[in-house]
Amino acid sequence: MSVLKIYPEKCTGCLRCELACSYMQTGEFQPAKSVIRVSPFEGHTSYAPYTCTQCAEGWCMTACPVGAITIGAVGAKDVLDDTCVGCKLCTIACPYGTMFYDPDTRKAFKCNLCGGAPACAEACPTAAITYEDVATADWLGDFARERTARVLVGVS
Amino acid sequence: MTPISAAAPEARKTTKAAPALPGGYAGRLLRVDLTKGKCWAEPWGPYDMRETLGGAGLGAMILYRETATKGGKANVSWDHPDNRLVLATGPLAGLPVWGTGALTVVTIGAQTNGPTSTQANGFFGTNLKYSGYDAIVIQGQAKDWVYLYINDDVVEVRDARFLAGKDTWETQDALNATLGLSGHQLSVYSIGVAGEKLVRFAAIQGDYGHVASKNGCGAVMGKKKLKAVAIVRGTKGLKAADSRGVMQAADDIAYDLKTDPSAKSLYLWGTLPGVVNLSKLGALPIKNYTTNVPYDDLANWEAPKLREGFDHRGHQCNACGMHHCHMQVIRSGRHKGAVVDEPEYEGWSGAGWTIGATDQEGVSWLNTEVDRACVDVNEFGWVCGWVMECQERGWITKERLGFQLKWGDIEGAARLLGMITRREGLGDILAEGMKGAAERLGGPAKDAAIYTMQGSAPRGHDHRARWEEMLDTCTGSTGTLESGVPVHVAELGLPTRINPFNGEEVAMLVAGIRGRRHFEDSLGICIFTGRTRLENLCRALGAATGWNYTLGEGMRLGRRTAAILRAVRLRCGIGTDKERPSARYGSTPTDGPAKGQAVAEQWERMVDAWYAKVGYDRKTGKPLPKTLKDLGLDWLARDLWGKKA
Repeated sequence: MSVLKIYPEKCTGCLRCELACSYMQTGEFQPAKSVIRVSPFEGHTSYAPYTCTQCAEGWCMTACPVGAITIGAVGAKDVLDDTCVGCKLCTIACPYGTMFYDPDTRKAFKCNLCGGAPACAEACPTAAITYEDVATADWLGDFARERTARVLVGVS
Repeated sequence: MTPISAAAPEARKTTKAAPALPGGYAGRLLRVDLTKGKCWAEPWGPYDMRETLGGAGLGAMILYRETATKGGKANVSWDHPDNRLVLATGPLAGLPVWGTGALTVVTIGAQTNGPTSTQANGFFGTNLKYSGYDAIVIQGQAKDWVYLYINDDVVEVRDARFLAGKDTWETQDALNATLGLSGHQLSVYSIGVAGEKLVRFAAIQGDYGHVASKNGCGAVMGKKKLKAVAIVRGTKGLKAADSRGVMQAADDIAYDLKTDPSAKSLYLWGTLPGVVNLSKLGALPIKNYTTNVPYDDLANWEAPKLREGFDHRGHQCNACGMHHCHMQVIRSGRHKGAVVDEPEYEGWSGAGWTIGATDQEGVSWLNTEVDRACVDVNEFGWVCGWVMECQERGWITKERLGFQLKWGDIEGAARLLGMITRREGLGDILAEGMKGAAERLGGPAKDAAIYTMQGSAPRGHDHRARWEEMLDTCTGSTGTLESGVPVHVAELGLPTRINPFNGEEVAMLVAGIRGRRHFEDSLGICIFTGRTRLENLCRALGAATGWNYTLGEGMRLGRRTAAILRAVRLRCGIGTDKERPSARYGSTPTDGPAKGQAVAEQWERMVDAWYAKVGYDRKTGKPLPKTLKDLGLDWLARDLWGKKA
């Protein structure tokens, strides 16, 4: 399957991914409704995007009391608007903070991989976000282990 | 209350029956009266949007309408409460076109006491648009230090006494901490101590390294007692008429920037290649124009070398893919570990070559110190280099300055910066800017100073080898380069190559591109990402707004804006007699690639040719009635020429 992968060291904090994402989600450019968010690190010198990893556990699906979160054709967990009652349990259950609640529609919303052509990866000018074939959806563990070994080497 | 020119048309009021807003606009201007401590939103309509776009176009019209005195015969001065400080975005700001966080500052500047339009980038434009405003128009003066806080519809003039005395980076740090925000969630543009002390070439800096630097706009902000503007990344949406079209145009612009020879090095290295490239023309300013022969091995100043020398990281503006803006960490030396903004070419020049420095880590550190104190790095370079030359020649003694400042002395230059910023000792005179300081000292020292007779200093080039920029800077109405750098000139029917030392050919080029920069600066896009074909910019604008927008309309908009700024300049009392370089600025290079090229010999002929081409009156400086009518500015023709129009 394909997932979104993040290469933080390539991110320059231009936030173009947020614009593209919000356009796909809402039809407008509105970063407040983007489901990919760029966070600052190390003061104002470093940035990294972050979004749903489509984790194998699917905590949001497990928590949803009305079965409003399903797995779509490209393997992305997606919210069925007609079923969602806006209880926000999924936003609490998600350990990654990538389930959002829209106060205008009163529904939960999340990354659905744009149906298989993620706009954020397309928009990123530095390839800090890519859409790649992977063996397992849960690439985050390997990612964390690799970075721990490389970036935090010598830190006790 | 607000003086309004008799003949300038009022902004058309929006009515209930008004047509729908074009895409790309938030639809409201934020008005702030600091005297009264009031803020209010003012809707503006499709007619004014198409006529002025935003940025420089909108700002010029606001200055014309709102800063006149004596029935339109005179103008308020830079330090008058009725001076307007326009902080404007444009229709492309906040859209996914590269470099569209832009801020254009339009005001009556403190150096020329005439109009200015000066630009910075970062995320100001984006955050403002997503908060629901296209521009901020500030009038009045607060009694004590305040900052403007904008968070969607919550707009407040807040106490900023706790920020007084802080430099620009400290100000942003303090506001981030106070408001509990970080990164681009908060865009802060502020003045440093220089602006507080009304240093005439004080600037406005924001988002750690972006500076609107020209014509003393920071002193205007200081006079208004406005320390900072802090905008939370708004939550509102921005509609484009054709969103997919905006993305397509953005991709085309990016393609141009990545592949066209005129922009590719900018894409890869920002403005760093300027040092070596300009030195080949004799346009790298070295030691206050005393030579054009580099004193250091230029192989050390190639762009990759400059970037390799630091630990650095991209720090891009809104939606931008250029490898331009960077933060960097100094690896060694006295300032080891300092986080600084990678100097632009202008920084390497103003804080480096102009003052005879070779220590790249020192130059990099000094450049950010200049941004923190917040003065224009170009003007600082000219002032500092001039003091160094004056000391070498004995025109400014060690006793008068308080210490000996030799060529290349970075720590000494920083000490001088502190004196200027706080107006201490000789620094109080130097804080009046290059022209003011030179005139105060007089004698041979005056003849060694680099400035225009309008009152400001040029950007960090040796314009004795770039006549087009000297002509543009001297004849312009903004106190700085006005028509900008020729790019894609074939699109405008201009020759792609000219003899750079033929005054008439130079004049034809500068006059021919007049308007393009004003158009770009009205869009809310960076001048560097605007370095694409105009056709692409017009297509992006058309997709955003829904207008069928052509290259011709873009140039017409730019030339209208130039004419309006010219009218404001004349109203400020800056006539054609001021359109000259100072003695040193207009001198003949004695060595280097441009040796013996005497701009003074061709100056009058070059200016004559420029006037004839742009359609302005050589004697009075006014745009001719026919020129104005061709631009659809009949009302301005009546204002300037009365019944003769």
